[in-house]
Amino acid sequence: MSQLASWLAILAGGLIVTIKLSAFTTLFTIVWSTLLSLCAISQWRPLRVAAALYNDLLRSIPLLALLIFFYYGLGRIMAGLGVSAFWLAVAALTINESAYLAEVYRGTLLAIPQTQWEAAASLGLGWASTVRLVILPQVLAPGVPSTLNMLIGVIKNSSLASLIAVNEVTLTATILVSQTFEPMQVYLVLAALYLILILPISLLARWLERRFGIGAGMGEETQGAAEPRLAPQAGA
Amino acid sequence: MSATVADLLRGGVVTLKIASGAWVVSAVLGLALAVLQDLGLAPVKIFQASLTITLRSVPQLVILYLLYFGLGAVGIQINSILAAILALGVADAAFTAEYYRAGFMTVPWTQREAGFSLGLSRMGVLMRVVVPQTIPFVVPPLLNSFVGLLKTATLAAAVGAPEILYRGQNAMSRTGEIVLVVTIIMGLYVVVTMPLTRAVAVMERRLRSYAHS
Repeated sequence: MSQLASWLAILAGGLIVTIKLSAFTTLFTIVWSTLLSLCAISQWRPLRVAAALYNDLLRSIPLLALLIFFYYGLGRIMAGLGVSAFWLAVAALTINESAYLAEVYRGTLLAIPQTQWEAAASLGLGWASTVRLVILPQVLAPGVPSTLNMLIGVIKNSSLASLIAVNEVTLTATILVSQTFEPMQVYLVLAALYLILILPISLLARWLERRFGIGAGMGEETQGAAEPRLAPQAGA
Repeated sequence: MSATVADLLRGGVVTLKIASGAWVVSAVLGLALAVLQDLGLAPVKIFQASLTITLRSVPQLVILYLLYFGLGAVGIQINSILAAILALGVADAAFTAEYYRAGFMTVPWTQREAGFSLGLSRMGVLMRVVVPQTIPFVVPPLLNSFVGLLKTATLAAAVGAPEILYRGQNAMSRTGEIVLVVTIIMGLYVVVTMPLTRAVAVMERRLRSYAHS
């Protein structure tokens, strides 16, 4: 028991880094996905094509490959500029995750009738004011469950940052294994920590999905299509 | 340079092997989970629900470490490629089970009743009436999951399986050919996964219009 307590004390340090990594990534991913999805429904074709290209390209490259490439390609230059592997991981995770979330947001935006854009324009609202005053307030609530699902994916995927030497919880556990030679027990504790961290978020997401009627009835079928996977996929 | 290219391509074959193996594991285990859930025995249901929640919450990398290092420490040593196939396949099965379950729901309940009235058992109805009809509906999501597995197969590099990213990493630190390695790996992934993803999207659209007609 005291052994478990000492392990948990060590892992707690890594868990805080995991939470920080996921929080920054989530914040940047929400902003970047919103911009991407607005580009994707833009009236201006080049912007639409650029957004589609970004989403297609980034969704075909594995997250781990992106992380490794950032680390090997930019690691040394960035270290010189004082940017740590932590921020490289935030950047890679954000760039990857946004390609998936932007597609989901695009679907939500498309659910708003075109006539609302026209009505706003006829009232003399510019693009930015239309988005801020008319469009975003309506997509905020339905966007919450998919954003929470993204957060779950980000927490899981942040474990890959251990492979570019970010001292988050998986790397902390691996170091602990090299000291205790107890991989089974240590990694089971690690799995339990992820479960405890993610479970409340998944329950909240599921409850909200039911509340807003997403994922029930007809939503069920679109959910599978629009919401590729929690991980990158897996996404990864 | 050509040595690096050849090495990466050999790694690509290993990646393909891992992804295909994991896909089979996921497709079979996912179906088993979905069938068990459909039969609705209480203890199985609880076990299955907790398994699904766990598999969806624990990173694939941690599952891989458990199978490779964890089992290794208790005397069950499996090679890195097999560990990756099992870990990725099992993790993916939690999602595959959902696809089958959604597929089962496309078959009207009256067909099951008709099956029962012909004297088929619950299992008989499921395997002979329901499952065959859901196949067209599960093909696109299963293909999607194959594309996903092609990407997550790179995780095998973490346990030293000689797949494409592992070899790329070695080449980058050995020869410094970073641009070459990045270009080839990204290029291969785009060339292989983009058409597949497109094809799946087309299939889904056709299936949807077919289902609504």
